[in-house]
Amino acid sequence: MSQPATESQPPPAQPSGHRDMMFCHECHDEWYRDEHGLTCPECGSDFTEIIEEGNDPRDQHMLDHDHDMDDDSSLPDLEAISPAMRPLFAAMHANQSPHQHDHTHDDPEEPDISSLQFRQVGPGRFSVTGTVFRTVSPPGGGGPPQAARAPNAGSGPFGGLTAILTNLIHGGIAGPQNPTQPAQGSQDHQPGQGGQMDEGAGSQPQAGVPGGAPQVHRFTYTAGARLAPRDPNNPGPRLEPVDELNNVLVGLMAAFGEPPDHHHHEHFHGPPPPINPLIQLFAQMLPGSGQFGDAVYSQEALDRIITQLMEQNASSNAPGPASQKDIDSLPRRKVGVEDLGSEGHAECSICMDEVNVGEEVAELPCHHWFHHACIAAWLGEHDTCPHCRKGITKKNDAPANENSRNQAGSGEGAQASTSIPSMPGAFVTGEGSSENPYVISGSPPAHPHNEDGSGNNGSTTRTDAAGAEDSSAGGGIGERLRRGLFGPPR
Amino acid sequence: MSTGAKKRILREYAECQNDPLPGVKINFDEQNMTKWEILMDGPDQSVYAGGHYKLEINFPNEYPFKPPVVSFKTKIYHPNVSNDDKGSMCLGLLRPEEWKPPNKVISVLHLIRNLLIEPNPDDAIELSIANDYKTNRAEFDKTAKDWVKRYAK
Repeated sequence: MSQPATESQPPPAQPSGHRDMMFCHECHDEWYRDEHGLTCPECGSDFTEIIEEGNDPRDQHMLDHDHDMDDDSSLPDLEAISPAMRPLFAAMHANQSPHQHDHTHDDPEEPDISSLQFRQVGPGRFSVTGTVFRTVSPPGGGGPPQAARAPNAGSGPFGGLTAILTNLIHGGIAGPQNPTQPAQGSQDHQPGQGGQMDEGAGSQPQAGVPGGAPQVHRFTYTAGARLAPRDPNNPGPRLEPVDELNNVLVGLMAAFGEPPDHHHHEHFHGPPPPINPLIQLFAQMLPGSGQFGDAVYSQEALDRIITQLMEQNASSNAPGPASQKDIDSLPRRKVGVEDLGSEGHAECSICMDEVNVGEEVAELPCHHWFHHACIAAWLGEHDTCPHCRKGITKKNDAPANENSRNQAGSGEGAQASTSIPSMPGAFVTGEGSSENPYVISGSPPAHPHNEDGSGNNGSTTRTDAAGAEDSSAGGGIGERLRRGLFGPPR
Repeated sequence: MSTGAKKRILREYAECQNDPLPGVKINFDEQNMTKWEILMDGPDQSVYAGGHYKLEINFPNEYPFKPPVVSFKTKIYHPNVSNDDKGSMCLGLLRPEEWKPPNKVISVLHLIRNLLIEPNPDDAIELSIANDYKTNRAEFDKTAKDWVKRYAK
């Protein structure tokens, strides 16, 4: 999973990977502090600020507008508080920092998860416990103290989440049966040190964030999930409510940011949560697309990916089409007496129309012949001989497998499908059973090819049966996926 | 559906009539020839003996380039027939990727009949029935016969 790129985190000069970014309130210019110092190199203004996570003056510029517009819905913020009260609030922030979740990690690279545990606590129950270290540096100061950095900076939130999701999806693909109980979160805050407030930005909501670190958030999440395979007895359209994963995620995400309806609302100032890109990100993918990169969080997204996979795979499951050029250039010939079957007549095995001597037919490289129109319609979808499954594409001295693989272009399933002339069960009564050899006069008699349809009676199909056995259990990945996920075929 | 396809279906029906399978009756409607109603008796040597099964064979517009679709209208306890209101059956030559135009309805009927005699648990739709069949044959036979009495008389 890729982390959203942020401008404030250029290549690491320090082990923590942090360089101070400066912002000029006059001209809105941005620069690195270690390159140009504290004064704006553009306009020379001193009215500059260090951009920190949790204190991004650029956000405030934008927020100013949003905030003013729906102010009536927001709780009293620092602007409404008399200047004399501010230090008090600042102290409260420092000690309680109830709203820091949504502000302290504007930069999703910053929050460091030291541990996330996913374990099953009983049948159908699992819990996720995580310890999150948040680092906030005092605004106006230098860079954050090295010691304040979380010990485990390597694994970002996404790493941990990915692990959780993988577990959830693998373990709980059957879908949670019980409604999940999102976010039974308990959070412990260690007050940050050095909770300095930058008065210049103090009137802005975000600036209330205390500095210092580390702050430790702990949360637990409990939810029910039926970790059992789907009941194959009921193959109907009933789909397991995998959608409940959404709830699981909401619960998990609540621990990273402010839960939508959590107790934090009673605290002052609530600029709408979307400041947090992490939340934004998940909010985007939760209800709507439910997809992020290769991970999916909803049934629809899963369906979409499976469909996509199957579409990609379809051509390999059944061999791809032959090129129009190859179809057009199939040699034509007249039906001769020798083409007639033992009963003295022959037919095109596609339309089952009888063909007479002298009629023109198209002959495939494998010497099976059909009406050109008939075989063209088939080859336009599958480059296989309807009788023996050999392709018509040139350069195919290689076996039909190779050929169809080339045709398919994507490969994997091609071998499976082309190497299974018939499923078990099919060969008994398939095209070549001894009881009912379907290949009648329509197929050229007595051709040297041993894969020839006319030779394809019960005994030769047996030889295929062995090959069919192992692959039939699979039946092609697309088919297995489809049956596994969508129930039995229609 | 092309006239060629219709012609072929007609031919196939004629062929089925000329060479009828034991215990298989086809109700063919010329007005709607893409939907065949099949009445199939449970083969004597099978656990379904005594049962009368109604099936449907639907021919897609792309027939014969796409396989016909087979569904059991009568409930049957069988690993290869889906145990739902569809009663669908999708294996062997009926699989879209397995189907080839020279295959005929009569082979499909043979396939179905042989599957009644000998289910194919390795290519099952109903895994639990397949499991039953493989590991607890007596129980399978009992349930299957029970279902014959209950649904297929």
